[in-house]
Amino acid sequence: MMDYLNLDICKTSDLVLSGELSATELTKASIDRAEALQQKLNSFISLEKDEALEAAEKIDKRLRKGEGVGSLAGIPLAHKDMFYRLGKITTCGSKIRSKFKGDRTSTVLSRLEKAGALYLGGLNMSEFAVGPIGNNVHYGDCFNPWNQEHTPGGSSSGSGVAVASRTVYGALGSDTGGSIRIPSAMCGVVGIKPTQTRVSRFGLMPLSFSFDCSGPLTRTVRDAARILHVIAGHDPEDSTSSRRKVPDYEAECDKKVAFMRLGIPSNYFYDDLETDVDRLLKDTRKIFKGLKVEIVSVDVPSHDHINLIWAAALAAEASTIHRKWLRDRPDDYGPMVKRRIEFGLYQPATRYLEALTLREKYLRAYCDTVFSKCDALLTPTMPVVAPRYKDLDVGGGESMPELVLMLSRNTRPISYLGLPALSVPCGFGAKGLPAAFQLIGRPFSEGKLFRLGNAYQEVTDWHNTIPKIVE
Amino acid sequence: MSGITSEFVKTIASIWHRFSLENEEADTLTNMLAPMDDAGEEVSSSIMFDLEPSDYNRALEELGDEEGLG
Repeated sequence: MMDYLNLDICKTSDLVLSGELSATELTKASIDRAEALQQKLNSFISLEKDEALEAAEKIDKRLRKGEGVGSLAGIPLAHKDMFYRLGKITTCGSKIRSKFKGDRTSTVLSRLEKAGALYLGGLNMSEFAVGPIGNNVHYGDCFNPWNQEHTPGGSSSGSGVAVASRTVYGALGSDTGGSIRIPSAMCGVVGIKPTQTRVSRFGLMPLSFSFDCSGPLTRTVRDAARILHVIAGHDPEDSTSSRRKVPDYEAECDKKVAFMRLGIPSNYFYDDLETDVDRLLKDTRKIFKGLKVEIVSVDVPSHDHINLIWAAALAAEASTIHRKWLRDRPDDYGPMVKRRIEFGLYQPATRYLEALTLREKYLRAYCDTVFSKCDALLTPTMPVVAPRYKDLDVGGGESMPELVLMLSRNTRPISYLGLPALSVPCGFGAKGLPAAFQLIGRPFSEGKLFRLGNAYQEVTDWHNTIPKIVE
Repeated sequence: MSGITSEFVKTIASIWHRFSLENEEADTLTNMLAPMDDAGEEVSSSIMFDLEPSDYNRALEELGDEEGLG
């Protein structure tokens, strides 16, 4: 029998809609895969088998009756365990919220459900979405499906792992400084951090009001386009969400890329790359050239200050949210997470407000100097492939800040600016671990990023490579 | 150069936040805070008098791609 779990959302959805494959059959296969891999990869915090099967049966019934279903009907998904559902436990990867029941359902989950998507469970994540590694002292570390000695990246670790291991077709993650793009890159899947206000944050566990974003991790760019189209758009429950119309992102995928301009930063993003990442990014450039995309060199504004003031603002907001628990339950945090949150307590309010006030100035400078010359920037998502757990300081020690800075150096400035960024896998290093490129665009240019990313995937096959652990 | 010291961090913890810090913890936090303090000091001089954080949201819409307008 064909392994339907290896297909992408768009192809599988066609099979479900045509009746060739039932949602129930698909969900059972997805649950079997999740159970078979849990001990090795630890991607799930909770698996809701009965609820998922019940929802799948309902979809099948509706299809049999010829009723209309949404664009994600019968597709098994699972999400980072920080999207609230009314009355259901959402752990946020923490001990502190291990029994927390959602007092609302997040807008993005409601929209996915309305589109017919199935919810298989809550996925592992870095505690309170803090940390680019994928370790978790409370629920156990999550492991990279390409090599279990290596990290999957964080903080949406389970999302990257569950999608890469062909357990679910897609997963939501959150991104405050790289938490969608980093695990996407380390696990060899696609991930998009949308423009800051493109997707509602209602019902999403907060880490930073100013920088939190949610978005999908999928196997293909087209799948990400489909999910983003479902979850994006204004939400009256989130007053900061944009009122802009949501374009048909899937239709954008089919537009031509010839003569689009791709900017290669002449500074910052290509500094200190691992040899494999450098080689794969050069190959990527050639592939885009072959697609008749114009490659231009672009000087980007300095990121040195952006990185530091992003960290200052993030810590100020996170420590405000966590202050009571930091004082009353300090031992219930993992050491690295506690350290990264608590330093916000020691900055003056003026520093925080200055960091936010400067955001407009930096955004304008970026758009003026970069996006006047190109449609999108092409950068490595990360300077390295997934490191080994045993080589990292995950205990919050002296080398921790440097490690975090290195892993997120190409993603966090984009979070500060609030720009959309799409991470796409672009091959494997000598150790069999994936690398990825990042396409960065001006605000609300997700469609253009999808167009470029999809064109790349149409002429390459990296996204169809399956980890050995699945075979 | 930032003048933040471990003693300063310990004092803030105790007076503003009502908890105490071990020396080692205060040292690590000081090392994390110092570069941020220096960067903050350097960029603060470029802030104009009548700017505010909400200007960012307006700029995001204004600078946005035309594809989402309609």
